[in-house]
Amino acid sequence: MKGRSVASASLIAVAGVVLTLWTFPVLWALLTSFKTERDVLAYPPTLVFSPTLANYRDVLFGATTILPNLISSFIVSVLATALTMLIAVPAAYSLARLDLPAKRAGGFYILATQMLPPVGLVIPYFLVLQKVGWLDSYKGLVLIYLTFSLPFAIWLLVSYFEDIPREMEEAALIDRAGRLRALLYVILPQVRGGIAVTVVFVFLNAWNEFLFAVVLGGNTVRPVTVAMFNFISVEQTLWAKLAAAAIIAMAPVILLGLIAQRHIVKGLTVGAVKGGGRR
Amino acid sequence: MTRPGQIVLRDIIKRHGAVTALHGINLEIPAGEFFALLGPSGSGKTTTLRIIAGLEQPTEGRVLVDGADVTNSEPGDRDVAMVFQSYALYPHMTVFQNIAFPLRMVATPKAEIDASVRDAAEKVHIAHLLDRKPGQLSGGQQQRCALARAIVRKPRLFLLDEPLSNLDAKLRLETRGELKKLQRSLGVTAVYVTHDQEEAMTVADRMAVFMEGRIAQVGTPDDVFQRPATIDVAAFLGSPPMNLLEAQIEGHEISFGGQRLHFDRDLGVARAAIAGIRPSALKFGDAGLAGRVDLIEQLGEATIVNVLVGDKAVRVRSERRPPVSEGQDVKLSFEPRDLHLFDASTRSRV
Repeated sequence: MKGRSVASASLIAVAGVVLTLWTFPVLWALLTSFKTERDVLAYPPTLVFSPTLANYRDVLFGATTILPNLISSFIVSVLATALTMLIAVPAAYSLARLDLPAKRAGGFYILATQMLPPVGLVIPYFLVLQKVGWLDSYKGLVLIYLTFSLPFAIWLLVSYFEDIPREMEEAALIDRAGRLRALLYVILPQVRGGIAVTVVFVFLNAWNEFLFAVVLGGNTVRPVTVAMFNFISVEQTLWAKLAAAAIIAMAPVILLGLIAQRHIVKGLTVGAVKGGGRR
Repeated sequence: MTRPGQIVLRDIIKRHGAVTALHGINLEIPAGEFFALLGPSGSGKTTTLRIIAGLEQPTEGRVLVDGADVTNSEPGDRDVAMVFQSYALYPHMTVFQNIAFPLRMVATPKAEIDASVRDAAEKVHIAHLLDRKPGQLSGGQQQRCALARAIVRKPRLFLLDEPLSNLDAKLRLETRGELKKLQRSLGVTAVYVTHDQEEAMTVADRMAVFMEGRIAQVGTPDDVFQRPATIDVAAFLGSPPMNLLEAQIEGHEISFGGQRLHFDRDLGVARAAIAGIRPSALKFGDAGLAGRVDLIEQLGEATIVNVLVGDKAVRVRSERRPPVSEGQDVKLSFEPRDLHLFDASTRSRV
């Protein structure tokens, strides 16, 4: 009994430290976003200050608006997510079900693409897009996003499909559904948790992406992650505005995380415990 | 035209890579029959059922239903319904939606679906559970739901893959009887896979006993039990199974090890044979096969006595506790008609 309380106390302590480390930057940004530029630079830092919404107003509607960039991010992320899911769902289903030759090798290849450092790819991607004239275009950036979101989504979805007993679609086949309707009516509803998790992850990956966006984007396509750098220049850094922009950019991420929280926790433990993944 | 649902399997061979699962299955199941595929696990009975269903393709051979070749037809085009061992209920649908699914797939009018689902649910006594999800049902109710989904469309063939094996013993007994009644009332051909001989014996009109990818025997349960065609069938059926002893026969004499028994019946020319005697056919008496009681097992309704004859254990089953004790020397007698003889080399009945 005593050993157990010591263990749980130390667990709480560790969790507290980790939580502090994670929340500190977010809290700092949150506080900073409500300060004036002068308060930001005050030394020692002020914890008590008169909050202002001026930064948000400037960042959203002022001269330094990031609104077009938010829209840009949104377009890229939604398109990338939609296309990814459109291809990944049937691909993952096939990988999980059909007895294809070289299925194992193919599965490993899909995972291996995740191990390449993006920095190594960005120059070839730049050259390719330049050749076809797709630099600074939505189709170009979305296409590049597919190269990493698609393998990830397939790999994540396969385990959900494999979790469903084959007898499910055999029953559906006997019930005269045919392969396509068996997938639509019987299999997909059972993996909707996995699909939700995958959508969230793919969307967030696209939303948070910076490297490809900064190199392959431009004046037409400038996602919010890139636009935030406007607040940092050689002469000065507008910390308060940067913080306000960051908080706005983070909002959809946090919102999505909260909505999908239940699914995400289940999704990450899929396969860990027998039958623990679904429902 | 006679009623539909006749199945013919012709020279069905199924190979999985280097492994041959079925070595040429030939079977004829007349319409309306309740037919059991019985055999130990891995004997090919489930593969045979799946080939009838269309879930697997035979490597060679033909499947005919009512004379039409359906070997390459999709499962959905064969007018078969199937109850899976795991039931395979759709977990995201209610019981109603589960049962309605096969009707919805062929665009049945809503009113007709409603009536058919209710009718099927009533037949298996789950009409009060239609709004539940499968996860909220007991094992027995899930099984009934799977049955209802199978009968709702009035199929030509009704395939059952170990449908009772996930139920507890009491429920299994009840359901087994109901299943038989249900099949009779529907008049549909049913093919029933089981490894449980008692289940096959009680439910089936006829059965095929599978052994290592071949059919060892086809017949009524009584036929198969009374006259097993091979040593393997004899060893598989009965609880406990038949005692099998190496023997030498010559004319009216049969000898086990050194012990000779005389018969009125002529057993034929001198040769080596395997003699089979059911445990229930053996009686303790003053004459017969000499042995020593090794172990007495009380089953409640019956007693199994293990007797060592030479170095071979022979089981004796009696309804009443026999007046013997462990370590006692005894003699075992049996009626000549209870002696089954099998050829030692071909392993088939002589």
